[in-house]
Formats: sequence, C-alpha cells, structure tokens
Amino acid sequence: MKETLRVRAVQGLSLTALLLAWEGVARAGWVDPLFVPAPSAVLGAFGRIGRAALAGLGDTLLKTAIAYVLAVVIGVGGGLLLGAVRPLRRAVNPFVIALYGMPKILVLPWIVLSLGFGATPAVVYATIHGAFPILVLVTGAVRDVDRNLVTVARAFGARRWQLYWKVVLPAIVPTVLAGMRLGIVFCLLGVLVVEMFAGVRGMGHVLSSLANGFRAPELFAATALVSAASIVIVLSLDVLNDRLSQWRGEIR
Amino acid sequence: MTTRIVLIRVAILVGLLGAWEIAGRLANPLLYVPPSAVVPALGRLLALHSYPDLAEHLLLTLREIVVAYGLAIAAGLGGGFALGFNRLVGRAYGPILAALYAVPAVVWYPSLMLFFGLDAASKIAFGFLLGFFPITLAVLAGIRQVSPQMLVVARAFGADGLTAFRKVTLPAMLFTLVGGLRTGLALTVIGVIVGEILGSKSGMGSLINHAYGLFRTADYIALVVVTLVLIVGSDALAAVVEHRAQRWIE
Repeated sequence: MKETLRVRAVQGLSLTALLLAWEGVARAGWVDPLFVPAPSAVLGAFGRIGRAALAGLGDTLLKTAIAYVLAVVIGVGGGLLLGAVRPLRRAVNPFVIALYGMPKILVLPWIVLSLGFGATPAVVYATIHGAFPILVLVTGAVRDVDRNLVTVARAFGARRWQLYWKVVLPAIVPTVLAGMRLGIVFCLLGVLVVEMFAGVRGMGHVLSSLANGFRAPELFAATALVSAASIVIVLSLDVLNDRLSQWRGEIR
Repeated sequence: MTTRIVLIRVAILVGLLGAWEIAGRLANPLLYVPPSAVVPALGRLLALHSYPDLAEHLLLTLREIVVAYGLAIAAGLGGGFALGFNRLVGRAYGPILAALYAVPAVVWYPSLMLFFGLDAASKIAFGFLLGFFPITLAVLAGIRQVSPQMLVVARAFGADGLTAFRKVTLPAMLFTLVGGLRTGLALTVIGVIVGEILGSKSGMGSLINHAYGLFRTADYIALVVVTLVLIVGSDALAAVVEHRAQRWIE
C-alpha cells in the first residue's frame, strides 16, 4: 500500500516536473513556439479546436467500429475454418502468413486509387489491417486445441457442431479476446493512416491539416485527444478481458 | 503428401496470378495492371529507366532505417534496463509506457513532421518511435525471466554485480531480448516507410507516391516489389542473427 503511494507520487511528480520544465523552456524561448508550444498554449487550443476535433474523432471512431466488427468476423471466422480444416490450412497458410507480414501501407495507394476518397477506403484498409493478426492468432489457437478434449468429446458421441460449440469455442476464447485487443489498435491505426494519406474527414485528416497549417498548439491538443481516446478504449477492453477470464474461473 | 501440398500451393499461386492477369486486362488499365505488364516495368525500374535516381532513394531509405534502428536499440536497452532494474522506476513508468503503447503510433507522426520537417529526420524519428517500444518491452520481459535464485547463488559464490549481469542475467534474458530486437527492426522499417509514404520528398516511399500520383500503376507495383525485397531482406537478416544468438545460448 505504501509502495503504491510512492509509485503514484513518482508518477505525479515526474509528470508535473515534465510539464513545468516544458512550459519553462517554451516561455524562455529556447524552443520555437511555432514547433513546440507551451502546455498552457496547448490547453488553450483545446477550446478552439474542440468541436471540429470531436466531430473528427467521432467520424474516425465510427469507421473504426465498422472495420473492427468486419475484422473480428473475418478473423475469427477464417481462423476457425483454417484451424479446423487441416488440408485447407496447409495449402493456404503460407499465403496468409506472407500477407500478414507484408506491410499493408504498400497497398494503401492502390486501395485509395480504386475506392476513392470517402469512408470506404478507410474501412477496407482498416479491416485488412485488423483482420490478419486476429486470423493468425485464432488459426493457431484452433489448431492447438487440446487433442485429448476432442478425443474424449468424440468418444462420448459429440456431434460435429457440439464439438465446436462445447469444446473448441470455449478453448479459444482467451486467444480470441487477445486478438480483439490487438485488432482494435490495428483498426484505429488503419483508419488514421488512410485519413492522413487521403482523408477529407476524420481525425487523421484533422491532424495532418493542422500540421500542414503549422498550428502546433491545436495539433498537440488534437493528438492528445486521440491518444486519450485510444488509451480509454484499449484499457476498457483490458478490463473486460479481466472480467471475462475471472468469469471463466481462470487463475491469474 | 508433402509434394502434394507444394503442388497445391503452387497451383493456388498460379491461379491467383492468372486471375489477376485476366482482371488486369479486363478492368480499367489505369488502376489494374496485369502481372505481364509488371515484369517489364520491374525490368525498366531496375535498369534505371523509369527512375534514374532509384539507387539514391533506396540508399536514403536504408540510411534512415539504420539510424532509426540504432537509436531505437540504444534508447530501448537504456530505458528497458532502467525500468527493469529499479523497482520503483519500473512500477512508476511501466504503466505509462504500456498506455502509450496502446496509442496507434501514427497519431504522433504529424507532430514529428511539423517538428522535424519533411526530410529524413521525421522518418528517422518515427521509425525510432516504433522500434523503441518492442525493444524496451522485451528487455523488461527478459529481466522478469531471470531467476532470482540464480542471482543469489552467483552472488554467494562471490560474483560482483557486473559478473552476475554478464554470466546470469544476460544469458537468461537473451532469448527474449533478441526476439524483441527483431520485432523492433521490423517495426522501424515499417515506420520509416509509412513516414515516407505519408509525406516526403525522397526515399522509396516518395517514389511510390510519385508513381501512384501519376497513375503509373505498373511502375508503382514494381516499386512496391523492390521495397518488399528490402523489407523481407532486412527481416531475413534479423532472423539469421536471431538463430545464431539462440544457438549460442543453447
């Protein structure tokens, strides 16, 4: 308990010290305020960009949510299929791994070129970006389901759908959750990249146009806003994860 | 059995290329280029016809990667050991680091571009940022794997701090550390290339953007192929080093 207090104190003190030092350096004119604005200036900028940034954030999060649902469905569905059907997996897996490892940014220009400048390229790109890690993780988890469990279930006369519903699905839940945790960051990243590259709306577009306009305080404020939003999203997924594993009776 | 699998894989590859060829010939030639047109484009690119200054751009991208990776290793090892060896520091800054890792890194890129400009520095900074996290986290995970008993025994036999670090800590964590260094390299490479594609005047990413902007789709795909070779090559190199290190531990 005492140590927790000390940890919090160190965190609070170093954060305060950092902000104060930053403010001091900026006020003293050691850095060009055009590039590194003082924290107080950033705070003031929140008010100015507030509404535009929130609208952009909403737009981005909506696209992310659509892409995320698609990525989870494709990733988990494909993973179940590839994990369960051995010949299919052996034939297709090298391609999946190659595509998984390939930096998707290289196909981004082509996706934007084919799909235009609306929300579609962002959703498509983010779906591809998010689906692969989930697909690879789930494939592995289904492949590695404890053989003994499957044998026992078969011996007790479980039908195929029962085998999946009662044995395979519960066994892969932790991996699916881990994949979903990873996938949300990938989807958000995908949407933001497309918006920066060729967006006309959304937070990525807001960020890049603020940078192009040399509006550093507003840019820092907007960056802080997206960062905070993604931290909140990921942390709440973590909490959900914890709850679910407690419910499954796991020892952590 | 194995030959059959290989045959099926080759058949899938041929089928995909065939489908691409047919689609490429039927669809809008500005957007869809068949593989048969990409091969000559690749030849023209490598013969320095389409982009005479290809070598300079390639070298610039490589330089950015090397510098960014060097910085990421230095900062990652430094930060990781500082966090791993001091309990209070680790507990205070570890969660902050983890929270920052949850932020899609690309949100920092506009600020880096504003601060470092459109040239190499902003790409190096972004590549560094992406590579730094996995290396730091690998050091932290590695230190956690070191058995405290071994350290106590080493100390009891009279090893000083440095010897204990060299003989016990380092070998025990090397496996994880090397994996983290490999991930760090892959992410640094991606960071540099993402940075170049999002805005630059030179480097492979800028060429890709140039070709795409002019609807030179065959050249664009040829450039992507060259960039992929660079990426896969760097990872293969890292894999060789990783295997060496792992064999050395065993």
